[in-house]
Amino acid sequence: MIQRKDTNALSSQRDILVAQDLRKSYGPRRALQGLTFTLKAGRILGFLGPNGAGKTTSIRILTTMMEPESGHFVVDGIGSDHPEQIRGKIGVLPENLGFPRQMTGFEYLVYYGQLYGRTTAEARENALKLLDDVGLHQRGKSLIGSYSHGMRQRIGIARALLNDPVVVFLDEPTLGLDPRGQQELLSLIQRIARERNVGVILCSHALSEIEGICDDVVILNLGQIVARGTVSEVIGRTQRNIVLPNTMRIQVPALLFPQARQILEALPNVMRVTPGGEMEGWLRVELVQPTNGDVAKAHLINNSILSALIRAKIPILNFETEGGRLQDVFLHLTEAIQ
Amino acid sequence: MSNVQTAKTNRMSTSGAAQPAWWLVFIRELTDLWVGGKALVLVFIYTVFLGVVTYVIASNSELSLIPPKEMVYETIKNVMAVSLFIGLIIGADSLSGERERNTLESLLLTPSSRRQIVVGKFLAAVTFWPAAFIIAIPTFNILSQGDEIFGQGLFWGGILGTVMVLAYVGLGMLVSFWSNSNKTSYFVSLGIYILFLVPAQLPGTAQTGVMGQFLQWINPIAAVNHFLSKILVNNIKFSEFWTWIEAPVGFALLILGVLFLYAAPGLRLEEGRASKIWARVSRVIGLTLIAGLMALSAASPASALQTGTDPEPLQISITMESKTVKASDSILFDTVVTNNSSETSSTIFMAMNIINLEKAGEPIDPEDWSPQRTQSIESLAPGQSATLSWRVNAILEGDVMIYMVAIPQPDGENVTSHPVASPGIHLTVTPFTKLNPRGVLPIAIGGPIILLVIIYFVNRRRNQNIDMGGSS
Repeated sequence: MIQRKDTNALSSQRDILVAQDLRKSYGPRRALQGLTFTLKAGRILGFLGPNGAGKTTSIRILTTMMEPESGHFVVDGIGSDHPEQIRGKIGVLPENLGFPRQMTGFEYLVYYGQLYGRTTAEARENALKLLDDVGLHQRGKSLIGSYSHGMRQRIGIARALLNDPVVVFLDEPTLGLDPRGQQELLSLIQRIARERNVGVILCSHALSEIEGICDDVVILNLGQIVARGTVSEVIGRTQRNIVLPNTMRIQVPALLFPQARQILEALPNVMRVTPGGEMEGWLRVELVQPTNGDVAKAHLINNSILSALIRAKIPILNFETEGGRLQDVFLHLTEAIQ
Repeated sequence: MSNVQTAKTNRMSTSGAAQPAWWLVFIRELTDLWVGGKALVLVFIYTVFLGVVTYVIASNSELSLIPPKEMVYETIKNVMAVSLFIGLIIGADSLSGERERNTLESLLLTPSSRRQIVVGKFLAAVTFWPAAFIIAIPTFNILSQGDEIFGQGLFWGGILGTVMVLAYVGLGMLVSFWSNSNKTSYFVSLGIYILFLVPAQLPGTAQTGVMGQFLQWINPIAAVNHFLSKILVNNIKFSEFWTWIEAPVGFALLILGVLFLYAAPGLRLEEGRASKIWARVSRVIGLTLIAGLMALSAASPASALQTGTDPEPLQISITMESKTVKASDSILFDTVVTNNSSETSSTIFMAMNIINLEKAGEPIDPEDWSPQRTQSIESLAPGQSATLSWRVNAILEGDVMIYMVAIPQPDGENVTSHPVASPGIHLTVTPFTKLNPRGVLPIAIGGPIILLVIIYFVNRRRNQNIDMGGSS
């Protein structure tokens, strides 16, 4: 499903958004302390951070809704001192975007298309095309007030694409959607980035979402970037720095749980085995010797543990190492500073 | 979906917009206001109000005796009071309402200039006024009963109503600019409305004196009402009374200047906050404006009362200059006698005189016209004033002049005193007429019904163009 671009291709892409040392304070509270990053065309950048980390402030600044105290940014060659020109280059789906309930989806897109400088005929043509792109062609003449939440998010994305932007900002686009709606919207976002060669900045609290579709990630905490790079780079780099007791979780059939526990506790590398979660059959296995960031060695130890269960003919239903997911990285990095 | 090549080809420049942003915003806001929006509802309520007031005036035997000039003047006052309220409500919702509904961000994210957005919204917000005024025209027509006041009322009501509506819509938008929610915006706007309106409704006696006149002059609503009453009812010439529209015009210019030159370019997602520099600049501007208004007030009628040549030992002022009434009407007015000399006066007799201007100044016996032919004042200390109230019943049609003479009691035999005359009251008495309520009824009922029909067809036409399917 997910096709990330390789690193070689990355180097040939141009930077369409460059943020340099952006700073912003609200009274004594420093909301942003030197935000610096770049976004390349056609890539999706996940913007992560706990509440109050500075995500919304960053997006507001980058979308020209707020002025930074210092620092600057460039969108497709246009400096932040030309906000009106920048607004012509970006598309935004803000969190909790309101819609005029008495307008139809088509009228809404035509109106905003005209505000982006299109003639009426161009705006109408573009609106029809975008309604088709986001799967709303059959509801274009319906009042937005009659749309479901998912449909409103789609019309919001269509609105963000009205001006053929080079950068699209999507703030919590899947919030409040059912799983199918989330999946459809994420696929749509991926298509937009790939087919339109648009850089996408995706703000989300759903870490699996970011991990699933983003090429790059920026993790913010207390107004500072605590990690930046491709998703795999950030996970790998942080994993090496995380001083975790080497821990893994294994799911076995519930009936074989005592037997599996006994086998694992007998292994020389295993320090402790405990029930590993709310669901039945999960075991949490803590290893005796911390790997100290040696990923290869950790993998070998993991293999030996799994081998022991296989030899005992205990089916392994599921398996994961702690610290190997973006969620673990996120929790580690944001907790560390707090 | 289009491929990369197409996307690049389609990527557009925002320069060379087909239509200016202010026009697009204006059309959009106009549609929102008038098609299923609040403007039609408010204008409907206004029409019902106007119909009821007109019918009450026409059917109430006492009120219907009011001369046409006063009826038209009172109706213009009501039309303006309600219209200013509507203007404030629409203006107050324009920006904070969008903030509250989270729709402002979408607009601000376009490359359109903030000022153009505000201009478009402002123009749409004032569109209710022509509609409200046009709706009132049949009412003016029927209340004027063929009098020339109809044309004058339309002219002055139209001009001053427009000035005030522009100011009040702008004021509402300014409040909205600085508010994050409609609740705040409406509350503040209502407070401002009452602040300006209530002093204008105070009885005439509360609006006399130098300070009373100054407050009346500086309050745009009170000043407009006063100006209209003088021009429409008392037949005063514009050249004699133009100073009374300084405040309304100045107020409108100030509001629109602040809205378009200062606030509009700074329109943003959160409620507007002035920067420190702007706060200082606006403070200076504010102080300058206050100083300017104070300077202008030097030319106001209030200050004019204080200027002039050396005062007479006795001075008489009168609270009415001219009035048009119907035969059988009564007028009430006060005279204020002031002792300007350094000595206590003797007893002062005040005598009423009425002369017929159409018959070469032939005197009319005040006995038929007034229960008070003469009144007296015991004595006045230096600088002391005394107020006397008078009532005059208009008995015969025609043009008459009423004036008072203050006659100090001579100190003794072979000694005389110097009587002093007051300014005159020019009273025009028109023939007795009575408004027929039946003639008013079609207007009072027809207006709201026509508006309801319009609302129905507008909504029907709108619904024909949309797919009414529910969410899926």
